[in-house]
Amino acid sequence: MAGIKEKPKPKPKAAPRGARAQAVQAPAVDKGKAAIRKAAPEVPAPTNGAAEVQIPAPVAAPPQPEEQTKPKTRRRAVTKKKVKDEFSALLEPFYYGKSLTDPINTAQDKWNLLPAFMKTKGLVKQHIDSFNHFAEVDLKKIIAANRVVRSDSDKKFRLEYTDIRIGFPNRQDEDDAGEVPAHLRSTVTPNECRIRDMTYAAPILVDIVYTRGTNRVKRTGVKIGRMPIMLKSNKCTLVGRSDGQMAEAAECPLDPGGYFVVRGQEKVILVQEQLNKNRVIVESAKGIMQASVTSSTHERRTKTYVIQKKGLMYLRHNTLSEEVPIVIVLKALGVRTDKDILLMVAGDDSAYQDSFAVNFEVCAKEKISTQEKALEYVGHRVRLTKRPSARARKYQRDALECLTSVVLPHIPIEKGKLFPKALYVAFMARRVLMAIHDPTLVDDRDYVGNKRLELAGQMLSLLFEDHFKRFNHDFKMSIDKALKRSVRAQAFDAFAHFNVHKNHISQGLERALATGNWSLKRFKMDRAGVTHVLSRLSYISALGMMTRISSQFEKTRKVSGPRALQPSQFGMLCTSDTPEGEACGLVKNLALMTHITTDDDEEPIRQLILRMADEIHNYTGQEMHFQGAYSIFLNGTPLAVTILPKKFLNTFRQLRRKGSISAFTSIHIDHDCYAVHIATDEGRICRPLIIVEKGRPKVTARYLKALRAGNMDFDGFLSRGLVEYVDVNEENDSNIATYEREINQYTTHLEIEPFTILGAVAGLIPYPHHNQSPRNTYQCAMGKQAIGAIAYNQFTRMDTLLYLMVYPQKPMVKTRTIELIKYDKLPAGQNATVAVMSYSGYDIEDALVINKASCERGFGRCQVFKKVPVLLKDHGQNAVDIVDGATIDRRNPTHHALGADGLAEVGETVSQGDAIFMKGTPLDAISSRFSFKPQSYRLADPSYIDKICLTENETSGRTTIKMLTRQTRTPELGDKFSSRHGQKGVVGLIARQEDMPFNDQGITPDIIMNPHGFPSRMTVGKMMELLSGKAGVLNGTLEYGTAFGGSKVQDMADLLLQNGFSYSGKDYLTSGITGEALQFYVFFGPIYYQKLKHMVQDKMHSRARGPRAILTRQPTEGRARDGGLRLGEMERDCLIAYGASQLLLERLMLSSDAHRVDVCEKCGQMGSNGWCRICESEAGIRHLTMPYAAKLLIQELGSMNIKVVIGLEDEFPNDG
Amino acid sequence: MSSQQSTQTPANPHAQAAALLGIAVPDTAKAVEYTCGDCDATVSLKRGEPIRCRSCGHRVLYKQRTNRMVQFEAR
Repeated sequence: MAGIKEKPKPKPKAAPRGARAQAVQAPAVDKGKAAIRKAAPEVPAPTNGAAEVQIPAPVAAPPQPEEQTKPKTRRRAVTKKKVKDEFSALLEPFYYGKSLTDPINTAQDKWNLLPAFMKTKGLVKQHIDSFNHFAEVDLKKIIAANRVVRSDSDKKFRLEYTDIRIGFPNRQDEDDAGEVPAHLRSTVTPNECRIRDMTYAAPILVDIVYTRGTNRVKRTGVKIGRMPIMLKSNKCTLVGRSDGQMAEAAECPLDPGGYFVVRGQEKVILVQEQLNKNRVIVESAKGIMQASVTSSTHERRTKTYVIQKKGLMYLRHNTLSEEVPIVIVLKALGVRTDKDILLMVAGDDSAYQDSFAVNFEVCAKEKISTQEKALEYVGHRVRLTKRPSARARKYQRDALECLTSVVLPHIPIEKGKLFPKALYVAFMARRVLMAIHDPTLVDDRDYVGNKRLELAGQMLSLLFEDHFKRFNHDFKMSIDKALKRSVRAQAFDAFAHFNVHKNHISQGLERALATGNWSLKRFKMDRAGVTHVLSRLSYISALGMMTRISSQFEKTRKVSGPRALQPSQFGMLCTSDTPEGEACGLVKNLALMTHITTDDDEEPIRQLILRMADEIHNYTGQEMHFQGAYSIFLNGTPLAVTILPKKFLNTFRQLRRKGSISAFTSIHIDHDCYAVHIATDEGRICRPLIIVEKGRPKVTARYLKALRAGNMDFDGFLSRGLVEYVDVNEENDSNIATYEREINQYTTHLEIEPFTILGAVAGLIPYPHHNQSPRNTYQCAMGKQAIGAIAYNQFTRMDTLLYLMVYPQKPMVKTRTIELIKYDKLPAGQNATVAVMSYSGYDIEDALVINKASCERGFGRCQVFKKVPVLLKDHGQNAVDIVDGATIDRRNPTHHALGADGLAEVGETVSQGDAIFMKGTPLDAISSRFSFKPQSYRLADPSYIDKICLTENETSGRTTIKMLTRQTRTPELGDKFSSRHGQKGVVGLIARQEDMPFNDQGITPDIIMNPHGFPSRMTVGKMMELLSGKAGVLNGTLEYGTAFGGSKVQDMADLLLQNGFSYSGKDYLTSGITGEALQFYVFFGPIYYQKLKHMVQDKMHSRARGPRAILTRQPTEGRARDGGLRLGEMERDCLIAYGASQLLLERLMLSSDAHRVDVCEKCGQMGSNGWCRICESEAGIRHLTMPYAAKLLIQELGSMNIKVVIGLEDEFPNDG
Repeated sequence: MSSQQSTQTPANPHAQAAALLGIAVPDTAKAVEYTCGDCDATVSLKRGEPIRCRSCGHRVLYKQRTNRMVQFEAR
């Protein structure tokens, strides 16, 4: 740290990103040339000189002396580490455009924390953290909860799990080796799993102790199943690999990980949004005020309500057959006197007391005065799950059992003490009472602080526990059976039975991940669509999927609440990235810096709270609701009382900042309910903020310097209490300054960077703060469809469909987010020179005119890879399909591509109808004779055979063959393009370069865009992108368009002026057609354009004649089936209205399913071959044509006993 | 229904294939050379042999590029 610092400052680089500080600091230099230079960095910057001198004094001063005191050993360790990755350090993201020695200004350089955050956490940290937590903590908890298995037949038998762990990923056939030393570990890679259709999984190993005869046998490392492993998690082989080692594993270093490979498919468990558990929510509906809690424990998930109906308060629960008056419940829970009840619920507030006092009437009416009586009352209303036995029900016992373990099960009952539960019910009642008196106290369900996000780890934990329980149950059943037999040949070894069921866990996990069906009997949970195939359309689409949050709300319900943008999602959820249409606002995306908490241990926090404040049990109702007394809630459960909430909060925060308790513990004061809430539970959304104390941010230049030198990482900032994680509830209880200049005496936190309110996908947009908001949302949808580079390993992949751009470029106008997510390394688009003008009339309605020569030079060129699987069926009895070249007919032109092995040769062109492989189906099981049939290439456009891969399937051991075909496509009429501002358009004309307008340098545009695209769309950001891009081109720099920052228009205009261009970005152009000067100046410059996956070639379709559906004899539907184009009801109506009856007849009959039927005039039924079977004559038979579908309808109705009679009459009755 | 439309194209693929190409008993197949996906070694395989690289044991093989001439008309 010190070494770097004390070095003399070398001359700053030519384009100093570092040069920044407010213009105020360097007013003198701000004019003239120097002022223009500052354009380079995106944050307003002064000149070099100014910045070098002007590190704010109070900030820069302290480090010097402290530096000396640093222990020497530490310094040495640091330097050693630096030597190791010196080269890679230069490539680190936060050195972008900033050299190590550039001066630092806290106000602007604090964004350096962001790449540091990304470095330690990665882009999909929430998934990986959650899985790691599951593998390391949850798994052990599950084992602890299901520790012992006993047998019903033999009381002495006992099997105990002592430990569980997940091994290293391996192949199935290597599985039996058990635990192996590091150098013998399996070489399996995720990419091998993708190619071979395997599941990337690792063995689950347990240590057991069990009884064999009279001995206790201990076994370690027993496999009970295979657990699919999340990529880049701690258990994955990719963790901690350098870029070079990643390449060895054929894996992309930029791939975010966080998904599973199941049966060769990449599967993501989407983040699920849910209402928080174990918290009271007060709602009002139709005059009923209610407080409800969804309690969730390992055993149970139930919902308990306290409702106010017609002035009376009740407790409602599914197991109670009717609502029970709250006073009776409290009595049953052991609150002795009415006064106690009144004080617990209403405190000494007379208004509350008055409205609650009515509830006591019921006691008098029911004559309930003791706990026994109350329990009996409740007991009568308990619904029993089991049939009541013949003996009389013991109501009191039933009631007690129900109240302790079914109602509010998340409140633990220790040593039979019911008081905590009574207190909880009283607090719920109090919340209802308060909400009645002040309706603003009703909770908002859609408030993000009331939401919890469920991640892969939690989902897997539920699933695993279910399967593990079933495994134990099955195991118990089989040993029960074996132990029942009294005569045995040898000593009974339960281990043999143990191994039988291990496939159940593996297959259960694999199936759930592969199908996305989570069905858990315990919680009656049956969710479909939990997992999705990772979309690999582009790098961004994969990334966007990893940050996606799906909501449990119904899509069909027409409620706006859950869909609306919540102010509380600021900085946590992206404000722009949501789909349009039915899922609008229900599917959300995480913002850039969000972190989702994992479960933390509650116990140490409880101890801490009890040391800092008095336990609530020592208080009477009057005392705890006394004016100024605040109750302290830990995860929603009242625990203690304090009269100094602010002091408590500050002390607690200090402890957290010191690192004494988990950084993800949150604390906030709810002044409305006089409560201090402390949360340690999982699934809270939080984000890091810079701590501000005494009006000064704790992050200073000194720390940023250490960060840049690599001596400090993000965790260092966290552990030193410079930065802290703040969840939604705490965020809303803080005063957060966006910029350093806004800090005042009330400020508690400082924003790290304002652009982090956007997510990864919205971060691609340059100048999004200048766009109309829906445009940013449109771009978020389109960015995922852009064709570009997918991953560094894109050519080793075998996807069903893969779009790649041939010459992708990084955008001229970048954003910080682009650098952070490394979109500039896997871009999806090209910098097109755009002229905003009208041209030829083929550019109306957003159509684009593109330059033919540009296309020929590679603009918008893309490759399409399609996988053709060779499906070899197993017919049983060793009869398997084969691929063989024995029957290739060399004279047959369609066989030209086939090679000696029956597969097409790699590199051959195949066009429609050509055979791509020759498949043999066995005729019978014995003779090994095959009938061969070529599989032909379907598409109209020819492809090349790119790659053919032969592997052996892991489970079945059969050969699997995958072929990859490749097409290279240049842009054509109708292909869809879009800029990064939600401005999509199709190619309307490919104009010759000669006909294009050109400027005085002879530059022709790649794209001509119609200016009508601007006024109504209001995408000012696009114009600014053009301006910055143009300035960047002339200046030789990449400009920034970061949200709430970016290169200034003023600076860009100055740069243009310097280079002899108009400051407005408009150029003088000459018409390429007439050679005359255009009468107007044209807005002209580079805009980043994306080619979208919708291409004409995949959609174009026409048909004259073709296949028909068997049942209806009508033309088939859809392009894939070479279907017809439907003349629907509305089109039919038009023809009727117009009176074009002959056309109608032709379309609906002759061109569709015309059918000649014989109808009997007399009985109105259909006959056949000129014979009516009902009349048994041929006299009345008439021939007529009708749609086959109509005939079918008549017959189908007939099959349902509905007779349809066709009435015939003479068309020309008067003609004789 | 629309997704599972059966079309009125050839009724029995087997019968048609047999009619087209006849029934064959493939005799000893020719060995074809493949490339190992891991170590790049050339692996010569006949039909029915297990798919495995002889030098490194890797189970992913790729078919080699054709040695026929492939002409591309750049237009």
